[in-house]
Amino acid sequence: MGDQNSLPRSDAISHTDLVRFIVILSLTISCIVISAVAFSRSIPYINYQLFFIPIVYAAYFYPRRGVYVAAICGVVYQAVGYYYSFPDGVQMLGVTTEALFFVITAIIIAYFIDTIRSGEARYRTVFEHSQLGIVLFSRENFAIRQTNAKFASMLNFSEQEIITSTFTDLLVNEREKERFIERIDKNDETSDFETRLAAAGGTPCWVNLSWSRIDEETVSCTAININTRKLAEKLNNDNMMKYRQLTENSPTGILIVQKSTILYANPSFSAFSGYLPAELTGKELSEYIDKPDIHRFREFATHWSEQKPIAGQGEFRFVRKDGEIRVGVLFTNPIIHANKPATMINVMDISEKLRLEEKIHMDNERRRGIIITVAHELRTPLQPILGYLNLLISDPQGFSIVDDTKKILERCLVSVERERLIINQMLDLSVLESGKLQLSLASSPLEPIVQSVLDAGGYQTKAEISVSLPQGITLSCDRDRLYSVFDSLISNAINYSKAPRKIEITYRTEASDAFHHIAIRDNGIGIPQESLPYIFEPFQLADAAKLSRKYDRIGLSLSIAKKVIQMHGGDITVQSIVNQGSTFTIHIPKEVTDHA
Amino acid sequence: MRKIMLIEDDQQILEMMDVLLRNIGYEPVLVPDVLEALERVRTDPPDLVLLDIMMTPMNGWEFLERVREKYQIRSLPILLFTAAPEVEEKIALLNDPKLGVLQKPVSIPELRAGLRRFLPD
Repeated sequence: MGDQNSLPRSDAISHTDLVRFIVILSLTISCIVISAVAFSRSIPYINYQLFFIPIVYAAYFYPRRGVYVAAICGVVYQAVGYYYSFPDGVQMLGVTTEALFFVITAIIIAYFIDTIRSGEARYRTVFEHSQLGIVLFSRENFAIRQTNAKFASMLNFSEQEIITSTFTDLLVNEREKERFIERIDKNDETSDFETRLAAAGGTPCWVNLSWSRIDEETVSCTAININTRKLAEKLNNDNMMKYRQLTENSPTGILIVQKSTILYANPSFSAFSGYLPAELTGKELSEYIDKPDIHRFREFATHWSEQKPIAGQGEFRFVRKDGEIRVGVLFTNPIIHANKPATMINVMDISEKLRLEEKIHMDNERRRGIIITVAHELRTPLQPILGYLNLLISDPQGFSIVDDTKKILERCLVSVERERLIINQMLDLSVLESGKLQLSLASSPLEPIVQSVLDAGGYQTKAEISVSLPQGITLSCDRDRLYSVFDSLISNAINYSKAPRKIEITYRTEASDAFHHIAIRDNGIGIPQESLPYIFEPFQLADAAKLSRKYDRIGLSLSIAKKVIQMHGGDITVQSIVNQGSTFTIHIPKEVTDHA
Repeated sequence: MRKIMLIEDDQQILEMMDVLLRNIGYEPVLVPDVLEALERVRTDPPDLVLLDIMMTPMNGWEFLERVREKYQIRSLPILLFTAAPEVEEKIALLNDPKLGVLQKPVSIPELRAGLRRFLPD
């Protein structure tokens, strides 16, 4: 009975309680009055039996308070009895015995009622507060007899709504209904029956049902909400589906390989290899590798077992079913397949890329071939012209040439020389662009290179040139190539300026800087901003006519100079303001490796 | 007068070089036929050979190999006289001290310098 406090109970006095209280009170008062009258008239045998009515009534509904009622009745009855029977000792003893009998009766009734009630209450509490949904239904027609709040809330119904329906109607569809009936007909006791119940609001609720017969016609069924688990499973399935869709629709070949045996090949790989997926599965991947690559492939395959991703290291030739060779780059990734370590291989078909590269290479070679032939064909006829002009100019008297004619011939010679230069530059550039040229790198002091360019070109007679290069700077470079770069830049600086020409050659760097920066600044005509991007382009592809007319004597020298410095891993940049001058800066790395 | 053998199948260049070489003080021997030249380098060796490369039926390189390897004529200076590019890179590999190149078109100062390299005054 002490447990009773732990059971939830409402302390509020209900309407029913009030009625019972009035009944008990009026009965008790009636009994007191009747017994008082009976005592006063000395009517035997009816003086106390009536008291059992309120006592039993009270003890039944309120076991503990029933005892108090009995006690009060006993005291009042005794008081009344003593009043009338005094000093008859025997009768007084009878009254006390009868009063005690009230209390004993109440206690006995209260005890039994309490025992019954608390057991029932406990079960009821378990039932009501269970975290499992519990529903009792008829074995015959599945009419729901009782349910708990959990079950109702699982389906978003109230308990009342549930109780008025039949269990089979709660199942989400006819198929589930049939499945359930089939199962319950077979087994009176079942656990882990997973189904969906129709919930209010439309979304069915996944439940795990277990049931057993509790008597001839009642089945007790527990339900666990497994929506979360099902959702997780569904997500997982969705992911699997997505993953599958990805692999199936992937434009790159995908293989799953276990110890070099193909477990799965996607349609792209199938198309790549020319074999059907079914023909591929179970086979050794190495069977499809071209013979010369097989050794390398086997070696590559040993790295798979290290379970580290290998990206694009393997470029292998595959033999298609039709015998054609395709080249694929393999990207491998360790995965778990069917609980065992496996390797997922992405195969990227680069055959087309290689074919294109080959074509570009061939095109470049062809273009180079054309340039070389054209250059050869252009140079040869220049020889007689150049030779004769040289001859005539060198000995005007011998050929009876007058001064005016000599001047004309000299102008012709300038043009021939220019044509020769352009052809030579064209060839130079084509060699540089072919990447076949190797720099002969050596450590060369900077200052003497510049000085020899100035001396050989006689530039110092044409312009005021200030050279401020620190002593002891050495460049790792191809000296001859660098010489021509300086020559081009300095001669351009002179050609594109008017007297009084001023050219400054300066050097800067910092300890933390990986580059030498050598600037050649002139006070020349400058280059318009919009033309700057094109001045290094061979033949100034953009707006060629406009640009080259003004800067025609540049020819290809800037393109060549830039290319040479780029081969050193550096670059040439330019800054210019029209009518103020240009600054070309050579940036050359302190540590040079051939970048051809 | 130093004898310069010019092996060249371009008539225009032959005629021009004839005048030019004479003018700068050499005795030109003009041989338009490369096979005949092969004979004459042995029977009537010149002081220097100016050798075109693009010729038929034998090109300059083949001629060079024949002279150097088959006839073992190693001291005869040979100047490749050509409009073809990348010849300098190729001859650098041959490591032949008596071999040089004159790029067509060549000017008189260049020709003179080229010849003087092997035939000092």
